[in-house]
Amino acid sequence: MDPLLEGLRLVAAPDVLIAIFASAVYGLVVGSLPGLSATMATALLVPVTFWLSPIAAIATIITASAMAIFSGDIPGALLRIPGTPASAAYTDEAYAFTRKGQPELALGAGLWFSAIGGIVGTLSLMLLAPALAEVALSFSTYEYFWLALLGLMCATLVARSSPIKAIASMLLGLLIACIGMENPAGTPRFTFGIPDLLGGIEPIPALVGVFAVSEVMRAMASVEPPKMPFRRFGSILANQWKLTKQYQWPMWRGNFVGIVIGVLPGAGADMAAWVSYAMSKKFSKTPEKFGTGHAEGLVEAGASNNASLASGWVPSLLFGIPGDTITAIAIGVLYMKGLNPGPTLFTERAGSMYALYIIFILANIIMIPLGIVMIRVASRVLRAPRAAVMPIILLLCAVGSFATGNNLFSVLLVGLFGCLGYVMEKNGYPIAAMVLGIVMGNMVEQSFITSLIKSDGDVLPFFERPVSAFLAALTLGALFWPVAAWAWKRLAPRRAPAAVG
Amino acid sequence: MNATRRRTLLGASGALLAAPALGQPRWPARPIQMICPWAAGGGTDAVLRIIATLLEKDLGQPINVVNRTGGSGVVGHAAIASANPDGYTMGIITSEICMLHWQGLTEVTFRNFTPLGLMNNDPAGIQVASNGPHQDVRALAEAVKASRPGQFKASGTGQGGIWHLSLAGWLMAIGVPATHVRWVPSNGAAPAMQDLVAGGLDFTTNSVVEARAMLDANRARSLAVMATERLGAFPNIPTLKEAMGIDYSNGAWRGIAGPPNLPAAVRTAMNAALDRVFKSSEYVAFMNSRGFGLTYADAEGFGRHLAASDAALGDAMKAAGLARS
Amino acid sequence: MQLSDRITGGALVLLGAAAAWGGSKLPAVPGQDVGPAAFPMLIGFGLIFCGSLIAFGVGRSFEVEEEPQENSGSLMARLGLRVLVPPALLLFYALAVDHLGFLLTAGVMVFLGALALRASVKLALPLAIIAPFFVHLAFYRLLRVPLPEGLLGAPW
Repeated sequence: MDPLLEGLRLVAAPDVLIAIFASAVYGLVVGSLPGLSATMATALLVPVTFWLSPIAAIATIITASAMAIFSGDIPGALLRIPGTPASAAYTDEAYAFTRKGQPELALGAGLWFSAIGGIVGTLSLMLLAPALAEVALSFSTYEYFWLALLGLMCATLVARSSPIKAIASMLLGLLIACIGMENPAGTPRFTFGIPDLLGGIEPIPALVGVFAVSEVMRAMASVEPPKMPFRRFGSILANQWKLTKQYQWPMWRGNFVGIVIGVLPGAGADMAAWVSYAMSKKFSKTPEKFGTGHAEGLVEAGASNNASLASGWVPSLLFGIPGDTITAIAIGVLYMKGLNPGPTLFTERAGSMYALYIIFILANIIMIPLGIVMIRVASRVLRAPRAAVMPIILLLCAVGSFATGNNLFSVLLVGLFGCLGYVMEKNGYPIAAMVLGIVMGNMVEQSFITSLIKSDGDVLPFFERPVSAFLAALTLGALFWPVAAWAWKRLAPRRAPAAVG
Repeated sequence: MNATRRRTLLGASGALLAAPALGQPRWPARPIQMICPWAAGGGTDAVLRIIATLLEKDLGQPINVVNRTGGSGVVGHAAIASANPDGYTMGIITSEICMLHWQGLTEVTFRNFTPLGLMNNDPAGIQVASNGPHQDVRALAEAVKASRPGQFKASGTGQGGIWHLSLAGWLMAIGVPATHVRWVPSNGAAPAMQDLVAGGLDFTTNSVVEARAMLDANRARSLAVMATERLGAFPNIPTLKEAMGIDYSNGAWRGIAGPPNLPAAVRTAMNAALDRVFKSSEYVAFMNSRGFGLTYADAEGFGRHLAASDAALGDAMKAAGLARS
Repeated sequence: MQLSDRITGGALVLLGAAAAWGGSKLPAVPGQDVGPAAFPMLIGFGLIFCGSLIAFGVGRSFEVEEEPQENSGSLMARLGLRVLVPPALLLFYALAVDHLGFLLTAGVMVFLGALALRASVKLALPLAIIAPFFVHLAFYRLLRVPLPEGLLGAPW
């Protein structure tokens, strides 16, 4: 029997369709709550999958994770509270739209380009899986080191601030990531004897603190802004086709970068969004508009992070290596349901594999109507008085961070990070750069230290392999950009004194 | 469908549990909380959740799994040990509880728990890349003995993790110092297996289960398993005893335990319930599908296992210089 | 909390020095040449470098001027302490929730938070009564987060 038809037959079963719909709604709701990540939404589904047929079980995981990643953008755009580390890269951009009174444009772009990214990512999974898997397997720790460093360098590009302050913020994030014993040496560092610090600082409480709590703190210190004139929420999809044509090239670049980063185990949607947003700004004709409510970066990063979600399944399906935390959970479910990862899955169980692809595409298609409903419901929050919304956000911050590990220590962390975020923001230190440092810290150190251990302290292997040499060149280029830009600024006035204001 | 099934099982379990002492409310009279010291979605979480689902049917009360993460397992283990011993808060404990205190990271040891049942054990294996030079474990051992210190690189988990200790134990068993092979710390077994296949390592000593996908893909081979008998799911892999006459075994285990001084009634009831859970076809099917090793010991046997494991891991940690003196 | 670049830059230098010093005190790992000290020391020196550059005003020209605040000086002073209300409420939540239970703690938190944002009691009171129930419903029922019951249990 044709595997494609077999796949269609498997997906068309009523229990699978119900599972897709129910988990879509579930993923949208959970992802939009601050502090609850897509990983958490997926993990909570695992006990439910015990009772489902194999295809329905996988369908719930795929659908819920795709929905949760998209809906993480909703609180980011409306309230400046990113739902996931992936959306932290462009939260300020999306929130700038809301302040201009066009939240529907930012959210619509998030929805539309997420769906496109998801579908393109799935196609890459279908057509290129074996080739992509070989790329993933050829990456050793040296390549990962350069990749991680390149990711960190995005901090200077993303921020609308002094590059030196951006680097300082990122270093602060890296220092925070040093806390605990989850380092290559397994030695507790900077724990000050507090057992809760042994496991390190989780990105979610830090993220919620620096973005959401500091936003509530700012609200306390300012007078309520005048209400925006009441206006019907515009059509959500109307402008997206125009954007698709206008920013076609960034969109494809975002898809491509997302697919490549997603395939590499350990570098998931978070990094894809950051790198794509930074690339978009770097190659844009109008980089000065970034951060003021400009769609270009949203298009590229939105496409990128969902594309990486789909291609992240490649190493998981072929070698059982999780591409990110979500696929780590999914691998468990695959084994449980007898769909053991491995090359044989693609040959002997081709029908099931096609079913999986179809579910991916289906999930990204129903994301559009469900997402529109979700955006319309969520945007009511903007019309509520600020004094009613902000306290509830604070409560959600407390409960959401508690839920990450059922540990009250996280609630204290959220408060501390709120203060830190507030002070940093007031003094021109970009908080997104610090979040990037926290998210990437472990990968940077891990790849750096293990590479040194493997090479017995020799630096040469960092540059020897062809891929690592290429990545090294890119990274060093990005590293010296701020210095060059600074020198340029200092020299420029002498050549054109009238240009300085 | 589930509801009816649950109801019949509930009735059956009610009949099985004979009425206890009169005048006392039958345990469990309300929902039970089960603490998991590791994050949702991981292996320990999965094992605890299947046990909880089956216990729920068996005991007729909801069982809530709560992930108390943080501190590399320290926080959750301490939460189980310090819970109110009323029989309504218990949890799953893992090999790490016999390791963390040797490193001076916690005061909590296995003595701070009431063992209820050992539910799973995943033995370590020795894996090499399939295009590597060593065909069997004896050849690998000879090559390791002939190498200079630090020349061979192995991995499987972080520094001082359970698989680092399986390497140290094996090296001591073949008569070389525990630090003769350089340990490359990794974020768990999956990245280590990837680096093995990418050519960055000589061998890995993580559990055979964690190597499964790479073994199936013919990218890696498992030369031996560090267990007393061959694994049901991997009958072709010889034990260390068979392959080179070494009596050494090591593995990551998981068991259910409660705080000290649990009431005797709870202990007996839990012991019987865990026994039924372990023998249930659902548990066996789940564990086999995930490749998790089915090893069971009742409360008493689990207690002996804890003491033995604590001593053995302590010795390996001291030899590898990982224990705090 | 607008501080001069000299102060924030100086603070970063001190933090970097502390990180490098603390890192250098970390014990070496037996059997490894590269220990836990390398990375914090590297970051520490990086922070010292960046902090001194900031303190000397390098890179200032890149910064976008903060939007002018509408608040006058006296208003700022009056609002200054309010900024600390959110972290204080989070601290209160962490300390009180196990004793008072979720619904009461959350109610107090929302009530005080709303008042601090100049809501009328007519808005704050109903909000503080209703909102915790919905949050409890979503997190406790749907997501099975073990929120403590304390003095006042939820009806479900």
